[in-house]
Amino acid sequence: MRRPAPSTVRWLMLIAVLALWEIVPQFEIIPELFLPSLSKTLTVLYQNRGTYFAALLVTLYEVGFAMLISCVGGILAGALIGGVALLRSLFLPIFSSLYAVPIVILYPIMTAWFGVGSESKIMFSGIYAFFPVMLTAAAGIRTIDPAFLLAARSMGATRQQMITRVIIPASVPTVFTALRLGGALTIIGVVVSEMLTSAAGIGYLVTLNRTILDSPRVFAAILMILVLAVAYYMIARSIERRFVVWQSAGRKQQAASRDAAAGVPAPQPA
Amino acid sequence: MQLVANLKSAEQQPAETAIEVANLTHVYAGPEGGVPALEDISLSVGVGRFVVIVGPSGCGKTSLLMMLAGLRHQTSGTVLCYGRPIPDPDPTRVGVVFQEASLFPWLSALDNIEFPLSLRGTPKEERQRRAGAMLTLVGLDGFGARYPHELSGGMKQRVSIARGLVQDPPVLLMDEPFAALDEQTRMTMGHELLRIWNATRKTVVFVTHSLTEAVYLADEVLVMSARPGRIIDRIAVTLPRPRNYEMMATDVFGRLRDRIWQQIRKTA
Repeated sequence: MRRPAPSTVRWLMLIAVLALWEIVPQFEIIPELFLPSLSKTLTVLYQNRGTYFAALLVTLYEVGFAMLISCVGGILAGALIGGVALLRSLFLPIFSSLYAVPIVILYPIMTAWFGVGSESKIMFSGIYAFFPVMLTAAAGIRTIDPAFLLAARSMGATRQQMITRVIIPASVPTVFTALRLGGALTIIGVVVSEMLTSAAGIGYLVTLNRTILDSPRVFAAILMILVLAVAYYMIARSIERRFVVWQSAGRKQQAASRDAAAGVPAPQPA
Repeated sequence: MQLVANLKSAEQQPAETAIEVANLTHVYAGPEGGVPALEDISLSVGVGRFVVIVGPSGCGKTSLLMMLAGLRHQTSGTVLCYGRPIPDPDPTRVGVVFQEASLFPWLSALDNIEFPLSLRGTPKEERQRRAGAMLTLVGLDGFGARYPHELSGGMKQRVSIARGLVQDPPVLLMDEPFAALDEQTRMTMGHELLRIWNATRKTVVFVTHSLTEAVYLADEVLVMSARPGRIIDRIAVTLPRPRNYEMMATDVFGRLRDRIWQQIRKTA
């Protein structure tokens, strides 16, 4: 018997989870207050689509601006710190140790400085995701294969050509990794800050409906955040695949040769 | 008649020198005055010659090659390439082929070969023409659009050789270019290299660990000692050219390889 493909298994698992979400509350194994069924959640989401869509726009707006700080700022800062030895020795130890600080303690300060509107969410989640992005980018720049630099030098590349023709293209995979990570963390930061103190956004809907014990509305908001996060990841991944052809294709090739070596039969037409 | 006599005398003249190294010494910076890496190296490579440097790991043969390429600077002594020092890499005088695939994975094979030309702003048309000719020379016609990850190890090194030759430098330096290849591919590539060398008549300095490769390829083998690296033997390889695989089974081949091995063993 042939083993099903991992992607088939993944889809089956997802369908199983969704089915359980529907069935378990239907049979009142878990009370609706704790877990409303999937159909109930979707119905509430549809009935209140105006409210939820408006909240989604607020959240997306905050995520968008926060990503300018976390991703754009983080990648630029990471490139500088990874690429310039002096900056690295000055700042890297500081930033690495700051990494362990729970940045969420800054959020009350942000609301004091910027109010309870979108600005405090943008600042908080931007800073929250900035450090991991920066450290990832810095590490990526530092791990560029020195063989590339030596080869470019042997071909007479100037310092500027080394940067534009070798270091930047060699950093593209790292930049995409940092973007994927940064986007996900920014979404987390925005939602968490909306849940703590705010008057708008999906996170706000979670907290608001939780306090009035309206579980279907809470779960509708949770479902939206889930979809938002997964959609971001999938879009980022597909753009990455397109841009970093050599990397994903290299991985595919490795996987193919591994399969061949392990004697996995090629898929046959039914 | 007169013409033939002139040609003959020209042939008998000592060949022009491509590379001249005199009293080169290198010391790595370190505690207590540093670590001596290369000691009083002198050598001379005639135009069009194929010279192979062998020696135990860490003897500094790669460092020496980097100094010939202008990629590293010796502590003292001189390196001359066609009579002039080489303080910085100069791809119009010296092409370099590295051990590992140092091809850029984000560029196709053809773009990789064009890369050195594009650095100096050579027009697109000329770049393509010259890179295409190199691709043909190394036997990769039709593979120009492939990316390095779509090429085998041997093909990648063919592209590296093409990239090293694309500016038509008179000298080609090769740092263990076939070390990462399997034995069969390595033998094939050695033979291919001799074909390319024969077609282009470059001066080649080739660093390797493999004694068989050294004898098979070289006009002359320079044997280096363990650190600090010195040249302890110079062996002229008298095997006729073109070389073929059958020669590896001959007594002459075996004796040459054995002599190199004895020299290396003494110092290791």
